Amino acid sequence: MSRLAKMVYAGFFLIAVFTAMPILADTGAYGVGTPATAEEIAGWDIDIRPDGLGLPPGSGSVEDGEMLYEEKCASCHGSFGEGVGRYPVLAGGEGTLTDARPERTVGSYWPYASTLWDYIHRAMPFPQPQSLTDEEVYAITAYVLYLNDLVEDDFVLTADNLASVEMPNRDGFFFDDRPDTRNTGCMKDCKDPASIEITSEPSIATLQEDESGAVIEDVVAEGGQKVYQQACQMCHEAGVAGSPMTGDKAAWATRIEQGRDKLVSSAIEGIGIMPPKGGQSQLSDEEVASAVDFLIQRATKE
Amino acid sequence: MFSKPGSGPAVLRKVTQEASKVDPAKRRDFLKKGLVVAGGAIAGVQFASTLHASQNNLPPNLPEWSKSLGAGVITNPYGQPSPFEGDIVRRTVPWLTADRIAAISFTPLAELDGIITPSGLVFERYHAGVPAINPDEYRLMLHGLVERPLIFTIDDLRRFPSTTAINFLECPANGGMEWRAAQMDALQFTHGMISCCEWTGVLLSTLLEEVGVKPEAKWILAEGADGAHMSRSIPLEKALDDTLIVYAQNGEPLRPEQGYPVRIFNPGWEGNTSVKWLRRLEVGDEPWYHREETSKYTDLLADGRARKFSYIQEGNSVVTFPCPERPLKQKGRYELEGLAWSGNGKIKRVDVSFDGGVNWRQARLKGLVLPKALTRFSLDFTWDGSPALIQSRSTDETGYVQPTFTQLREARGTSSIYHKNAIHTWRLHADGTVTNVQIS
Repeated sequence: MSRLAKMVYAGFFLIAVFTAMPILADTGAYGVGTPATAEEIAGWDIDIRPDGLGLPPGSGSVEDGEMLYEEKCASCHGSFGEGVGRYPVLAGGEGTLTDARPERTVGSYWPYASTLWDYIHRAMPFPQPQSLTDEEVYAITAYVLYLNDLVEDDFVLTADNLASVEMPNRDGFFFDDRPDTRNTGCMKDCKDPASIEITSEPSIATLQEDESGAVIEDVVAEGGQKVYQQACQMCHEAGVAGSPMTGDKAAWATRIEQGRDKLVSSAIEGIGIMPPKGGQSQLSDEEVASAVDFLIQRATKE
Repeated sequence: MFSKPGSGPAVLRKVTQEASKVDPAKRRDFLKKGLVVAGGAIAGVQFASTLHASQNNLPPNLPEWSKSLGAGVITNPYGQPSPFEGDIVRRTVPWLTADRIAAISFTPLAELDGIITPSGLVFERYHAGVPAINPDEYRLMLHGLVERPLIFTIDDLRRFPSTTAINFLECPANGGMEWRAAQMDALQFTHGMISCCEWTGVLLSTLLEEVGVKPEAKWILAEGADGAHMSRSIPLEKALDDTLIVYAQNGEPLRPEQGYPVRIFNPGWEGNTSVKWLRRLEVGDEPWYHREETSKYTDLLADGRARKFSYIQEGNSVVTFPCPERPLKQKGRYELEGLAWSGNGKIKRVDVSFDGGVNWRQARLKGLVLPKALTRFSLDFTWDGSPALIQSRSTDETGYVQPTFTQLREARGTSSIYHKNAIHTWRLHADGTVTNVQIS
């Protein structure tokens, strides 16, 4: 058979195959989009359900979790899950849900342990989401459960036993049943004017311009600010884990005395609990230096 | 006429404490405004502040700008607001969140007209900051209980028939700082977690038809591509109704802050279900109970139980003039204005009271009255210099009447955080200033 004849033959063969296939089952009405392969789906499909559906094989112990938690979680959530600054409290609060100031924690409020695994894997640690291995997620999840007195210190969490961890507030939720109020829309003499009392009013003065009409904000080292927001702000804005707070002149003065080069090298290499480049290893040395300049500027401006 | 409020709420002391941590120059500003300006538009404000009204530009003189040439075309290839309006910006309340990456900013409602929020002023809510997504590398995966799992590019999504709708977008925590007491001193902070835009995209029902949903399907998980991988379970019923997969906002591609290049949008529902930077939709038979639908965005009641999947933003309203940012400067005739909205449909009527809810007058609805959209209302009134307690009360097309704070607290207590839609009270003082109050 000539090459041309072969090609024609192959062409007819393909047409025959395609026309024989049930086209409706293979494409939708618009035929738009590319089939998602099993491999592609596996790479992105990260969700876990209360019944354990979605959990990868693996396990992690409370013991292993303790070290990982201290290293990766405690700077924001506190060594005992008590929370640092405004970062979330993870443990405690049992029996407070009816209090005037309820404390909603993993132990006091969350209905399912699967949510913990899902969220730690999905979004934690805050500055480096999805950097943990599955084993590390099992271990840290086990440790947070332990911090809430939900498992013993020799507990090992696995794909098989996570769904059976019973959370105290499991039955504390109900489906939306609103509307739960009924205002009649009264138009006239709806209440006794004498009964009206002001029960609260903010004491801060009304929003108004200052004399110049100017809003006080300095022109900043622009590139440095972006890097700062990305890599440094999370800890330095609130002074997490003893870090010098942005703009805190006293805290920065002694550091600035050591010279810019020292500050830049500390920022690049890491110092104390701060990881190299604030954990953002993709940043160039120059970018880190620009963030240092921004921090120096904030600490020295009038 | 009115009794004095008791000692300020504890959170105010916190505001003051926070303010004391910042340097004196900023502190002055902080104490005055109870806020710090969240970047942007600073140059404009400084520009405006260096100018002062000159008699030379007023009648009978010919103004400066009438005797010279102005800037030519594409001086600003993408136009910006007048530099004189540089104070109309989003603002944040620093003590609300631990940092500015998982944080919120507020829309300046007092300075806006009509019902459309300019894209640059739509309130922001991030759980892990704004990701920078290259549209050529963007993909939306739709899989799970479907016949044909598919991956879509932006070009793919734009090949489907498009739908455009004007809808509000509101964070369920809007006003959540006020459950226990009035503590925010500006409309921007009491109600600014809302905006209203024109959204364009493809109906999710169209995409679901394209992949073929299996009969056992009941729920859909929406997941973001940001570092938080924000995820919410959405009932299939909603997804087949009016849920949009959005790629355009107010006529242009979505803003990065709003989910560029693609977000899901659930009209009338709490904003967090409209997951931004959408990367994945999975069809399933049960909800996932992820962090943002258990730990957060559930409504804790006084008895210790909590409402879950409380998606709908119920009927609400607020007076936008007068308000703390826009006091009355003299006696005389005015047009009171406000905004009303309901996640259950159209606004049917709005009533306004000047005496703290004793007597009410029906306001008129202005311009477009659309379902699940901001609706503007107004009422003419003459101010004789008397103090007043100004309130507005919306009724939607289902007959739902916005509740009083007393009714809402009776039903839910004060720990709900979310879905505070009570009738709001502005206290108009004899000098024309306006403060935020709560009344019995």
